[in-house]
Amino acid sequence: MIPDDPQERQLLIAEHVLGLHDPQRRQEIDAWLAQDEDASRLAGHWQEHWLGAAELLEPAPLPSRLWRRIARQAGVAPSRWQWVWQSPVVWRTVSASLLVVVALLLGPLRQPAPVYTVILQAPGEAAAPGWRVTVSASGDLQLIPLQEVAYPRQHSVQFWTLQDPAKGPRSLGLVERGQPVVIPASQVGEVKSGQLFELTLEPPGGSPGDRPTGPVLFIGRAVAL
Amino acid sequence: MDDISADLEAGNALMQACAGGDRQAFHQLYLNEAPRMLAFARRFTGESACAEDALQDTFVQVWKNAHRFRHERGSARAWLYGLLRYRLLNQQRRSSRYEVGHLPDESWPDPGLSPEQCSLADNDRKVMIECLKTLRLERRRPILMAYYMGLSYEQIADSLAVPLGTIKSRIRSGLKGLQECLRL
Repeated sequence: MIPDDPQERQLLIAEHVLGLHDPQRRQEIDAWLAQDEDASRLAGHWQEHWLGAAELLEPAPLPSRLWRRIARQAGVAPSRWQWVWQSPVVWRTVSASLLVVVALLLGPLRQPAPVYTVILQAPGEAAAPGWRVTVSASGDLQLIPLQEVAYPRQHSVQFWTLQDPAKGPRSLGLVERGQPVVIPASQVGEVKSGQLFELTLEPPGGSPGDRPTGPVLFIGRAVAL
Repeated sequence: MDDISADLEAGNALMQACAGGDRQAFHQLYLNEAPRMLAFARRFTGESACAEDALQDTFVQVWKNAHRFRHERGSARAWLYGLLRYRLLNQQRRSSRYEVGHLPDESWPDPGLSPEQCSLADNDRKVMIECLKTLRLERRRPILMAYYMGLSYEQIADSLAVPLGTIKSRIRSGLKGLQECLRL
């Protein structure tokens, strides 16, 4: 039953927006809101204000499987041929195959084999490698995306390494979403087995200081090959 | 226009494009809004699988019902969170399991600014945080437990080991305080 007292009605709406009522009561209040324009407007104001509390949370990286599930269920997934044509995975595979052919043809000019590798994983998600780092004998570093991960567009993704814990992490620059990066040896410095690499979410343009400020998206340690 | 207002306007435009069947707009809306919604759902459920299920269900409903979005009744973002919380609440109430984790107010002073100072915040969302800071911890905490974790009066009373009547009284007083501070 909806109270007559205006103050009680206002409180009822505030409680309803918070979700404090049981399902039966919620249905009753929803039916009332559907008919009462003023009550509905007040509920809307509460919802708008509560966004402030939601916006206190750090955005989470989206697993690529989630969009695939949504697109399939909503019926907006591309057809098989569209998928092949649009898929970065397919194009990456094609590009990688072409690179292999070119490298084989060029033979003596090919790049030296990597001496270190790092698999960067989301913290706590060992089964979901996000990026791979390879460091060649000449010290050049390659950062290669292994999966599509969506990041909030108003943030930047920054690459860091920790060579000496006493000196703290050192930025290796910003990373474009889903794009491989090559960093010359002069910028990478010496790499040791067990050295930490990580990607963090930062304000636009990167961390304002010389330390990461945002959450760690992917992290891993160098392994000698 | 500040960043948040521009984001909200972009969300409204994308939602209207979704109503017209624009698949790219739907994907862009997902990319813009889902990261924080996923964080919210994880906080709410305490685990990833249920959070992803609720987010999936929410976005599928958005695509099917985007034509029901009414800009004049609020922002697309508020509508999205309303849909998500509705699903999360249904999941939560079906399960007897709940855990009370870290709340973002733990470093806030108790109490914080006065309501007059709060009105200086430059948009609705910042005002809400400042108004929450004006509440005493014993009133603010159960309200945040309801918002971030979807706990009912009974669950909050149980979790804080406080009689149900006392919790109801604290939450209602807290909501009255918020209402005055927000000038609703």
